[in-house]
Amino acid sequence: MAEFYLEIQRVHVVAVLASGGLFLLRGLALFAGSQLAMSVPVRIVGYAIDTVFLTAALMLATIVRQYPFAHDWLTVKLLLLGVYIALGVAAFRKARSLSVRAGLWFGAIAVYAFIYSVARTHHPLGVFHQLVS
Amino acid sequence: MTSTRKLWFLLAALLLASFAVLLWSGNQIYQKAPPMPERVVSENGDVVYTRDDIETGRQVWQSMGGMQLGSIWGHGGYVAPDWSADWLHREVMAILNNWANRDYNAERFAALDAEQQSALQGRLVAMIRENTYNPETGVITVDEDRADAIAAVSEHYQSLFGNDPETADLREAYAMKNGTVPDPEHRRLLSAFFWWTAWSAVTERPGSDITYTNNWPSEELVDNQPPPSTFLWSAFSVTFLLAGIGLLGWHYAVNHDKEEAPHRYPGSDPMGQVVVTPSMLATAKYFWVLLALFLVQILFGAITAHYQVEGQLVYGYEMAEYLPYSITRTWHTQLAVLWIAVAWLGTGLYIGPAVSGYEPPYQRLGVNVLWVCLLVIVVGSFTGQWLAVMQSLGLDNNFWFGHQGWEYADIGRFWQWFLFIGLILWLFLVGRALWPTLRSASESRSIVGLLFLSTVAIGLFFGASLMWGENTHLSMVEYWRWWLVHLWVEGFFEVFATAVIAFLFTRLGLLEIKTATVAVLFATIIFMAGGVLGTLHHLYFSGTPTPVLALGASFSALEVVPLAYIGFEAYHHYRMSIATPWMQRYKWPVMFFIAVAFWNLVGAGLFGFLINPPLSLYYMQGLNLTPLHGHTALFGVYGMLGIGLVLFCLRGMKPHLAWHEGLLKTSFWMLNIGLALMALLTLLPLGTLQLFASLDQGYWYARSAEFMQQPIVDLLVWLRVPGDTIFAIGALIFAWFVIRLWVFPTPEGAVPDRDTAEADRHRETSPATGR
Repeated sequence: MAEFYLEIQRVHVVAVLASGGLFLLRGLALFAGSQLAMSVPVRIVGYAIDTVFLTAALMLATIVRQYPFAHDWLTVKLLLLGVYIALGVAAFRKARSLSVRAGLWFGAIAVYAFIYSVARTHHPLGVFHQLVS
Repeated sequence: MTSTRKLWFLLAALLLASFAVLLWSGNQIYQKAPPMPERVVSENGDVVYTRDDIETGRQVWQSMGGMQLGSIWGHGGYVAPDWSADWLHREVMAILNNWANRDYNAERFAALDAEQQSALQGRLVAMIRENTYNPETGVITVDEDRADAIAAVSEHYQSLFGNDPETADLREAYAMKNGTVPDPEHRRLLSAFFWWTAWSAVTERPGSDITYTNNWPSEELVDNQPPPSTFLWSAFSVTFLLAGIGLLGWHYAVNHDKEEAPHRYPGSDPMGQVVVTPSMLATAKYFWVLLALFLVQILFGAITAHYQVEGQLVYGYEMAEYLPYSITRTWHTQLAVLWIAVAWLGTGLYIGPAVSGYEPPYQRLGVNVLWVCLLVIVVGSFTGQWLAVMQSLGLDNNFWFGHQGWEYADIGRFWQWFLFIGLILWLFLVGRALWPTLRSASESRSIVGLLFLSTVAIGLFFGASLMWGENTHLSMVEYWRWWLVHLWVEGFFEVFATAVIAFLFTRLGLLEIKTATVAVLFATIIFMAGGVLGTLHHLYFSGTPTPVLALGASFSALEVVPLAYIGFEAYHHYRMSIATPWMQRYKWPVMFFIAVAFWNLVGAGLFGFLINPPLSLYYMQGLNLTPLHGHTALFGVYGMLGIGLVLFCLRGMKPHLAWHEGLLKTSFWMLNIGLALMALLTLLPLGTLQLFASLDQGYWYARSAEFMQQPIVDLLVWLRVPGDTIFAIGALIFAWFVIRLWVFPTPEGAVPDRDTAEADRHRETSPATGR
């Protein structure tokens, strides 16, 4: 499997960027009052991208033999992924006011950006790693 | 004589004739099975193995999970090799390398030129295929060189099944735990059993040039190639299939218009007026347990699939130390049958009083006792299997309380008896509830009788699992095991499925009772015409003679005939679902019934027939094309049916609750799409790659670590993740739907479900409405 490491990593990164990008666009569409944000095809594309990035992530973890709850940076990524999903789901709930939804959406994007920095630095503190050291 | 009566006679005659031939085939298998020697000796008279070694070795193999870890004669798990084929190849290579070294001073056989290789191969074929078994003394005599090779291969296996670091990589590739068989003597005996299965695969029957296993597995070095009978009966089986399709097409053409009799549908849901009795309500817990078993089954399936990548780890965790591959696969396959069977049991118990309107005394107590028994059987048998695989139970207790090692019939004999008695109790409970209807002279008596007969068959045919003993010959165990797996699961489950769906439509007033009775009887006759003798298609290469192969190939092809027309059934179900406005209440149970028809065509029909002709199976048996058929047919047909039946019973049990249709819709599509992705992204391409390897280099290679550890195979295994994830989420959503009915019940009409609400909103905002 290690033979495909670079390809899988590329798929993972592209899928992660696509997932974040789609979330960003859905948020903008939502606040612009477009129905597109919640349309079925857009949601299905989102699920498909997320499944691909999750599969690639599991493959990478197995190839490099670094796993959540064994390696801190992956533990942080996994836990924050849960936070990101929870904020994202909450942001698209219709019951809430627009300002609350915007807050949740910004929060989700902030978490996403931090997860990205953890991934880049391979350190649980991500972008703040330099500050601490 | 009425048409119904004629069909009953026809069915009885067909079953009598089919079972007579099936029993005759069993007798043939018994007479012509590969002999079990008293002793195996070398030409110098040294004892290589005794009968006791081979038989005890088989017990060791069974105790570690048997068919759940690798396979024997192609039956079993897919990650570790087929031990018969693996042994044969290793033994052959050991002999050839020895000769190459001795005769040509070469390091290996592969280093010789083509002419030298041919000379050695010719000598090998003559030596290894000769049948040296003496029926009078019960002794097999082997060449000295072969005895040396046996010793070398035995040493390899003793290392592999122990803790030797030299074979650690192979153990990881085969998903075996370290120290699979800790006792060194047990490991030696295990190798005796493996050797005997390989000997049967390469030794010619007396007076014939075909081996006991019909030349299976393919191995060019010893001239193991498909015998002429496999070509002949493959060609005939396709011809029979086409003839059957033609005949049934003619039948439909002639009778199609007659089935279109005008029918007045009831104005409201007739099942809505059924009084739900205490025993019917008590069946709810069957459905909760079913859900739990289903979810646990998926979890063990995921772990089992993951072992194909990491061998002994699950994302870094040393899972194999506690739940090795052979136990997770055992529980995964066993739970599949168990939860589906629980769906049948629960449905039968629910429908009994619903049909007759009669609640027999103490019926609820009976339903509750049976439920507790089921729990005890699941927990008790699984504990025994775990203790056996961890090698803590000892060989003496293994057969009764541990792991029998026979795929789908793994639980200990004690638990099999317990389950059999439980099924008889189930029959008794369903029968006494249906008794008033069965005794009455009403029109529905015949279809209720048919439904009851299929439950009788489900109850009694499980008895086939009690027909073998601890030391019964492997070929005969296989014969009876397939009575259980094929006749019980593929035969009478199918009859039950057809009968129960038609019956439910008659209870809903959508189908005339007489039409339904004739249709179900006819379908049963068509299905059983191929189904009973089709059992033998699992036994082409299990030490059986040619007539078994011929009968199996011909009749199993006929099993596919009704599946070719299953589109009629699916369309009929669809029409039923829109026949009246109140049928909207049953939309999703019917959708699951339509999925049953779809997967019956794809999983059972197409993927089943792909591996069915003897020539195909000769190369495909035990490759990933087998689980392709297994997953799509077992879950696709019976799993979907089980869920449909659960939904049907829940509708009756909770008649005044609003259903969250959105959850059901999502679950339905995720289960179907997940299953399709699992089949198309992994099992079909991986199986096809293996097939090329099997055709090109021999069966052993398609199952070897060398082949299975290629990056492309790993990649294909990983591609299971998307499909499996979607499938698992679909199952969780279904569970959540059921839990909500109890935890967050919403009265009908209180809050519109999401679909209706969305449709309403859409109407309000649609430009077409001008608002």
